[in-house]
Amino acid sequence: MNLSGSTRRKLTYVLIIALLLVPLYYLGQPLEAASTEAGSGGRLAQLRARYDLSEGDLGDIDPASASMRLATLGMRGIAATMLWQKSHAYKRRQEWERFTATLNQIALLQPHYENVWEHQAHNLSYNVSVEFDDYTQRYDWVRRGLEYLMKGVRQNRKAPRLYWQTGWFFGHKIGRADEKVQFRDLFRKDDDFHTVLAGEGINIDSAEARGPDGRPDNWLVSRLWHNRGYDLVDGGVALRGKAPVPFYSAGPLSHISHSSAIETEGVLDERAKESWMRSDRDWNTFGERVVPTTWNTTVRLASLGDRVRRANELKTKFGEMIGDLPQKIYDERLALLTAEERQAIDTPEKDRTQEQTQIAQRVVAGLFPSYTEIARAMPPDQRLAALDLADRLARAEEEVMQVEAYRDQINYTYWEIRCAGEQDDDMIDARRLMYDAEQALKQANLDEAIKLFDQSWLKWAAIFKKYPILMVDVASEDLIDSLRRYQQVLDNDEFPDDFPLVEFIKTRTKYDADPDEFLRLQARQFEERQIRGKPEGAGPDNPPSNGAPESNSSPESSEPAESSDPVESAAETSEEAAAGAPASPSSPAEEQRVSEPNGEGSPEPK
Amino acid sequence: MILQPEDFWSFSQWLLRPGAFLESALLQGIAVAIFLMILGLLFGYLVSAVRYGPVEGFYAVARVVREFVTKDLPQMRLRRIGAMARLAIKEALRRKVLVVVGVFIVALLLAGWYLDPTSNDPGRLYVSFVLTATNYLLILLALLVSTFSIPQDIKSRTIYTIVTKPVNALEIVLGRILGFAAVGTMLLVPMGVASYFFVSRGLQHSHEVEEVEDRAGELRGSTSVELGHSHTFQLDEDGQGLTELQRGHRHLVTRSSDNEFTVGPAVGLLRGRQPIYGSLEFLDRNGNPADQGLNVGYEDIGGGYGAGGLARLMGRVNRRDVYQHGYVEGGALTAAIYSFGGLDPNQFTDGLPLELSLRAFRTVKGDIVTGVRGTLSVRNPETRAESQPLTFIVKEYEVDQQFIPVKLRGTAGDVVKDLDLFTDLVTSDGRTEIVVRCIDSGQYLGMTQADLYIRAGDSSFAWNLFKAYLDLWLQMLIVISFGVMFSTFLSGPVALIATAVAVLLGMAAEWVFELSASMTPGSRRNLGGGPIESLIRLLRQDAMTTDFDLSTVPRVIIQGIDRVTVYMLDAVATALPNLPKMNTSEFVANGMNIFGALVGRHATAAVCYLLLAVMVGYFFLKTREVAG
Repeated sequence: MNLSGSTRRKLTYVLIIALLLVPLYYLGQPLEAASTEAGSGGRLAQLRARYDLSEGDLGDIDPASASMRLATLGMRGIAATMLWQKSHAYKRRQEWERFTATLNQIALLQPHYENVWEHQAHNLSYNVSVEFDDYTQRYDWVRRGLEYLMKGVRQNRKAPRLYWQTGWFFGHKIGRADEKVQFRDLFRKDDDFHTVLAGEGINIDSAEARGPDGRPDNWLVSRLWHNRGYDLVDGGVALRGKAPVPFYSAGPLSHISHSSAIETEGVLDERAKESWMRSDRDWNTFGERVVPTTWNTTVRLASLGDRVRRANELKTKFGEMIGDLPQKIYDERLALLTAEERQAIDTPEKDRTQEQTQIAQRVVAGLFPSYTEIARAMPPDQRLAALDLADRLARAEEEVMQVEAYRDQINYTYWEIRCAGEQDDDMIDARRLMYDAEQALKQANLDEAIKLFDQSWLKWAAIFKKYPILMVDVASEDLIDSLRRYQQVLDNDEFPDDFPLVEFIKTRTKYDADPDEFLRLQARQFEERQIRGKPEGAGPDNPPSNGAPESNSSPESSEPAESSDPVESAAETSEEAAAGAPASPSSPAEEQRVSEPNGEGSPEPK
Repeated sequence: MILQPEDFWSFSQWLLRPGAFLESALLQGIAVAIFLMILGLLFGYLVSAVRYGPVEGFYAVARVVREFVTKDLPQMRLRRIGAMARLAIKEALRRKVLVVVGVFIVALLLAGWYLDPTSNDPGRLYVSFVLTATNYLLILLALLVSTFSIPQDIKSRTIYTIVTKPVNALEIVLGRILGFAAVGTMLLVPMGVASYFFVSRGLQHSHEVEEVEDRAGELRGSTSVELGHSHTFQLDEDGQGLTELQRGHRHLVTRSSDNEFTVGPAVGLLRGRQPIYGSLEFLDRNGNPADQGLNVGYEDIGGGYGAGGLARLMGRVNRRDVYQHGYVEGGALTAAIYSFGGLDPNQFTDGLPLELSLRAFRTVKGDIVTGVRGTLSVRNPETRAESQPLTFIVKEYEVDQQFIPVKLRGTAGDVVKDLDLFTDLVTSDGRTEIVVRCIDSGQYLGMTQADLYIRAGDSSFAWNLFKAYLDLWLQMLIVISFGVMFSTFLSGPVALIATAVAVLLGMAAEWVFELSASMTPGSRRNLGGGPIESLIRLLRQDAMTTDFDLSTVPRVIIQGIDRVTVYMLDAVATALPNLPKMNTSEFVANGMNIFGALVGRHATAAVCYLLLAVMVGYFFLKTREVAG
């Protein structure tokens, strides 16, 4: 039979199309996620792997993703919306495999939308995993979420936030879950996952990733992921959608969590101490990092001590220059008040009417002169120098406030002290002795347990003397439990007055009644370490008078931001401001905090 | 896979619905047929009356009916039907329908990029994909091919050539339908074969033996990781052994004489389990029978059966009958009782193999390492003799295999002794009960009727896949029937849209039923009202959960019109075929044998729709012939 020309052409076209499918397949086959062998995947995938090419400089080329987006013919948004709804339906019906498959399809359609990766990885690791009763299955799904997120990182190599999320998941989902003991153990033994991590560029075989048992630790892997994010930002990629302090602190905090976790697991020797030392180094490195602020300035969190010292020096100098001028200005202004205003500020706060309160707030703010106002009131020959000094002093205090504000975001002082305290030999000994005592107790060896407990208390007392803030540390919760068991063993309800941890018990009692005790301890600790230099033996025996630090300008003692009750702190601050008005004139920063005088009508000279 | 009540009905239960005849398929079919007949005659009379006047119009309709009964039906010949079918096939082939197979093959080739063989249940993903892809392609093909044929003939006047052959309207319609169905079959066969090989080859894998150790004379080892999993195994003295069950399959491991270990291909990966289901009832916290198990607060998963047939249109049923998981509480008198019947001891000579897919719900974390525990016991419903509980740990989202041996300890008449399963615990007519309880206090076990069954055996995956494709073929047949029917009185594109609308409306029948039920007085569910009310709410941006804010008279009028509209829509939707309900791909995807009753029901429904479509198409074509 003769074929017509048209049929022959059509057959030729079909043949060409069929032949073209072969090179298309050869070119377009995606790289398998876990494969690091040369030659795996199509040609495009291999080129991408070799030359680190990225799709528009964003991330990995995935031919499957590109072809799927093309295939939607411009209706990618509709397709993605339908897939999202479908995924929700599968989740509701608990059809997990189809749910995962749908998430993979969503990722193919929206590979550069970071929220997709974060949201769905969270879905897998946090929401889906808990639906399973078997903890190994839960771990399996946590791992799937992690792999999903890592896939997102591959496709978005310039997204620091995704690195951060990955680090967060590794740390918190494995290390803070109710099943943290089991999950950490499963992760240690999950060699397949370690291979996957190695393929993602995480140096899983290095000492940086391995715990005391020589196996990878989830917290250390978390830290490595965070470090990759830091390298990216340091290399010039903008950090978007994440505040800098939580971003940069996560890595060192992962190291701290690792150190804490291994102690809980019974590693209470030189390895624990070394781990805390490395944590301390990490924390200090973080403290030295230059962090941009919302005031368009930069700060280093570790620079607070220097800034406070500088501000104090300037304040002393300014005080010497101005003499009792602030008091005079204050008196003059006070004399100009109307009777109504005078009555308002003289009335104790709790007895004021609403109108009197408003009057008092308005009036008090104007009574205390600012540095600049004081400088302007100086004699003409000294005025210029005074103005210059006033300006420098105001800026110095502003800087102190900025650093404090950023430190408060992650409780910087506390972690600094914790790292220092935990690497102390006394601390290691205290924990080890307590652990051994608990083991002896479990074996009903009461005499041995009592002996070990007694040794442990002495070590704890020494630590608390050096680092009082650790008395209210969450890690000392174990100490409370142990004390309780010690009491039961001795069959005593009360501790004797010479018990080594009497001060600890009193502090804990005070802390349980008033959580601000933590802030006061922290302030005291900071002052001792930063301003006066790290004291030896300083602690609860030498508290500052009236619970406030000696240096009036020690910002942490009067910093209202640290108080949990802004009204109370404002009142506290105003009392101190009123008490110290002449010698420590209000600065613009302090002006914001001043609200009311002590109600006695005149500031008390310091 | 959660089976719903209608999935368990036998063919006769579905057809006749003993005790609920108003919901039966037979009554529904008769009602639809009668209704269509009356409607068709009325409509035909109206059209004829307009053309010829009332009296002549009546005679025209009567003539059509007479010719059908006396001439066209008795003179119908298979030879002429076959000729029309061949014509339809040639026409379809001329339109290059075989390219659909090419599209399908390309889809299979590229599917590997999108399917994850390392998932926990790759079989389900692969099977779902091939069946869904086939379904969509076939329905689309059926729509396009069936709706343009007759209008094209009418437009090109070739219809006159055909009818003068002579080929009567009945043969034309039937021939077209069968011809297009044959074309669909020609496509379905290679697609089915390709799917089978795609699934079986895509999932087939093997492992290497990674480590082996000798423990007190027993060789134990583990395999390499392939497709995201590995196995452990134990060899007997002959050097053979099965791996443990992982992801629903095992491998045979053999040791050769020169100490080489080989792992065979996966066994049990693709199968069609043949379950024997029982009925399920629950006991409450006091040990008394309860309507359903405890509700632990999970969201309604949807689905279910809104009752079909005339009962729905008569307002006798206004809620879905849906199975959700019922839970039994641990450490209490709550229990779930599965009642089985017709057990044959000759079929289960070694004991009863059970398979469970239970859920766990914890109210306290408890022992993280150990799963929630339950017990199974077998009980004689007459003598109340009961076996000692067999403890198990729940395995969620996978099939747990348990085995009840023939000889077991138990209690009979307050005496603890050795019991025989079929003598003491199964009645003479083969009835027994399996009681499921939860041991752990504060925890719960959840189940539906289909979550515990006796595994009677396995049918082959190929046969199961064939049945699923048969259901796809039946769906295609229905769509073709409707397409040809609409094309007898509508132009091609309009017939296409009409067929698509009919298919979609049938798919939405359950939703329409819910809407209709929500609009009945006293309903607590508010879906936003009918079409007019919804339009007003949309324009005013009112939420559908708020009251309809309108003064009384307009509100009553609008809601009244809406109620009538939705009721008529419900009536139409109920009459139309619900194609997703005919889809049995879930069975295959979950490794369950498709019940013969299901296939029978679908085939019956498809043939009935075919006959109805043929009748309607005949009358419309005849009317046009008479008019011509």
